[in-house]
Amino acid sequence: MKKFKYVGVGVNRVDAIGKVTGETKYAGDIKLPGMCYGKILLSAYPRARVLRIDTRSAESLAGVKKIITAKDIQGNNLYGYYIPHRPALVGEGEETRYLGDSIALVVAETYATACKALKLIKVDYEILTPLTSPQAAMAKGAYQVHDGVEGNVACNYELIHGDIKTGFDAAEVMVEQTYCTSRQEQAFLETESGVAFVDESGILHIYSCLQDPYDVVEDIYLALGIPKSKIHVKATPTGGAFGGKLNTTIQVQLAAMAYIAQVPVQLVLDREESFIFHPKRHPDEIRIKIGAGRDGKIHALEAEVISDAGPYAVRTHEVLGLTVSALVGPYSLPNVHLTGQGIYTNNLDSSAFRGFGAPQAGVAREGIVEKLARVLEMDSLFLRQKNFLKSGEETISPVLGDSPVSLDLLKDRILEKMGPFPESTPDTGKRVGRAFGFDMPVFDVSAIPVLCKSGVGIAVELFSDASASVYAGGTELGQGSTTMLAQIVAEELGLQINKVFVEMGDTWTCPRAGRTSASRLTYVLGNALLLATEKIRDTLIQRAAKMLETNKDELIFVDGEIKAKGSSSKGLSLQEIAEVCSNEGLKLREEGWFKFPEDRYMYGHTFMASAADVEVDLITGEIKVLKLVNVHDSGKVINPDLAKGQLYGGSIQALGYALTEDLIVQDGKLMTPSFAEYLIPTAMDMPEEFVADFVETPYPTGPYGAKGLAEHSLNTTTPAILNAICNAVDIDICTIPIKPEYILENIRT
Amino acid sequence: MSRHNIVLSVNGKRTSLEVESDRSLLDVIREDLKLTGTKRGCDNGDCGACTVLLNGKPVNSCLVLAVQADGQDVSTIEGVALDDELHPIQEAFIEHGAVQCGFCTPAMIMTAKVLIEETPQPTREEIKKAISGTLCRCTGYVQIIDAIQSCGQSSK
Repeated sequence: MKKFKYVGVGVNRVDAIGKVTGETKYAGDIKLPGMCYGKILLSAYPRARVLRIDTRSAESLAGVKKIITAKDIQGNNLYGYYIPHRPALVGEGEETRYLGDSIALVVAETYATACKALKLIKVDYEILTPLTSPQAAMAKGAYQVHDGVEGNVACNYELIHGDIKTGFDAAEVMVEQTYCTSRQEQAFLETESGVAFVDESGILHIYSCLQDPYDVVEDIYLALGIPKSKIHVKATPTGGAFGGKLNTTIQVQLAAMAYIAQVPVQLVLDREESFIFHPKRHPDEIRIKIGAGRDGKIHALEAEVISDAGPYAVRTHEVLGLTVSALVGPYSLPNVHLTGQGIYTNNLDSSAFRGFGAPQAGVAREGIVEKLARVLEMDSLFLRQKNFLKSGEETISPVLGDSPVSLDLLKDRILEKMGPFPESTPDTGKRVGRAFGFDMPVFDVSAIPVLCKSGVGIAVELFSDASASVYAGGTELGQGSTTMLAQIVAEELGLQINKVFVEMGDTWTCPRAGRTSASRLTYVLGNALLLATEKIRDTLIQRAAKMLETNKDELIFVDGEIKAKGSSSKGLSLQEIAEVCSNEGLKLREEGWFKFPEDRYMYGHTFMASAADVEVDLITGEIKVLKLVNVHDSGKVINPDLAKGQLYGGSIQALGYALTEDLIVQDGKLMTPSFAEYLIPTAMDMPEEFVADFVETPYPTGPYGAKGLAEHSLNTTTPAILNAICNAVDIDICTIPIKPEYILENIRT
Repeated sequence: MSRHNIVLSVNGKRTSLEVESDRSLLDVIREDLKLTGTKRGCDNGDCGACTVLLNGKPVNSCLVLAVQADGQDVSTIEGVALDDELHPIQEAFIEHGAVQCGFCTPAMIMTAKVLIEETPQPTREEIKKAISGTLCRCTGYVQIIDAIQSCGQSSK
């Protein structure tokens, strides 16, 4: 069994020092010479026709460099992932589709001047009636948010397996419930920020917090017509993203400011603007029904998902597709009929947020299974286990591939970690409940069709002083990808980890790697990195073989040296060989291009389990999470400390999703635009006991056997908390977040 | 808007400034003093990312007018490391995986520093209370509490 020096070890983050000293520069910290400040005038109404934009007073304010409206845009003025139908600026005669549409851009010498100028822009609107729910948008006669899109249906899905009628006919028991999940806000601490400038050669440079620098280039080109060869995008260290910075956020508006005003510009959204601007988790209404035998075997699953897509497509298609398939979860279901529709509205926008549709499905799927257990008077863990997918079994969505099914192992581990059920003491007015949740979430192995053909690239250069640089097109969001890549390079080339420098997310220096999402970087970049480092190792070993006068097959890398196997004499230091290779002009900079061999498998699966003990106060309705356990099988864990951090962080987001986070949009307007009203968990909301654990079943095609993991922790955590509440107080939960008032109004025992 | 001459002692250094009456301490720290380690998360006193020490007590600097800080001691993250060495709290944050995106990290460290000085061996509950005014969206708080608790134990 090979012992690794860095891989599988909880090494310190390579970017930690700058973050603990305050030296790390986020986009909002950058100061460029002659830098001006931008502000976006957002729409005052969710749906309105812009009749007139009067910028004269704003333009004449001292210190204002430029006020930009749609008529100043040279390109198409349209951009957007999946369907480029979002206007960079809504012009006179055009309609807004949500509060986050941009009407005008201000560029001024100071931030204060920019804010003043913003207030001086006069806009005449014809206020129109917004579509404020998918139901309203689907109704006959509803206006089309996008011309030609009938019934405002952005997309629809149907998943059929077996025969649903046969399944329900065979069932002895039926349970049905409709679940409404909320619009959850990513609430990253760093709001959307960026700086941009055009250099003397006419090249536009953008430094911004983002998850996909290549897509930003695409959107700037589409909207503004700037040639792609003249656009340089570099991701800055990002203060949290969770999917909210996956699609282009403010970068098109920022680019327009710098390009049209011809000055360096910094644009930072304030918190209220941020709440409005970027897309949230899709709020879904899921009607779900299962039919089972009295023995607990599920014969049929039927569900309909109606998802509020907001005003623009962005990732609705992908998220809804995942929601629908995640309704099956880790269970073996013979007859399935699932449908889903994504519907355009004038509410806030919806797109990617950690879990990417699977958390919504988890609430419905694990909720209805728990309800079935209660109806059958059966232990819900036993019921789940009875229906678990088995190794080697065919799944409905054919992506299981070579992921070994480890559900039974997870069940055993989670039971062990949970320990005995805490009995509630009678007469204290408190009741305790416990519940479990399971899932087999997906992570990208190659899911982007274009990258299936070209592969995902990475570049590594070893220098003659035994230091190395890595150029990786993914971005560092806090999840620790920079560290993961440094660990792998240090391991493979026998370097000190502090001699490895990782540059991420620069479209000029980093080979095309696709987006940072879907927990994909460890798998795709890790594999690409192994291909690149292998080439460098070969070069070093071949040259060393000549120097040591041995066969290259006899040589190994050991502790910064290359020496012959079993030899006790001193080998050659890495630095010696690197210097020789460098002096002789041998190639020490290599690219690795990783293509997943089976292009029919777009995703891999991990397996996960959560369990929660909650205490409900019968007098106040308050809910306390006593214990929360998350166990994941994500293959080989590259860095246990960072991996645990992902489980803890995601679990607290899941707790917020279940209990505290309520983003209220009424008539298209945001009623909760601050952290005082939209409550994300603080340290006081933590579970009393909080455990994160791993089972490591090696994944054959993963680097060192690793899979992705960062995105998954919400999928089963939210339902475990909700179901634990249902078990504590015999209540049906249909809507999240669940509030104390709901408990008190609906309690049965 | 009237302008005022104020004197702040920032990380032990006496600093004279001329500021307008409506500028926040956060603004002056970041823009005038160019100390960008202190972050703006909400400008509303809700998130704690702007935490600095005013006369040794943690405050939301977005809620303090710069003129209110006249004649006071201001400590920011830039003053925490001692010469060329990291402060034990900074080391602990690194060792315990308490840093992810890093945006709340300066605020957490400022708060932790005061807590350890006042309560040398805080319990986990005391730590939770102390940091409850600073939001973290990445870490789930566990490793932050581990880091702070480890400092308490070693500062015997």
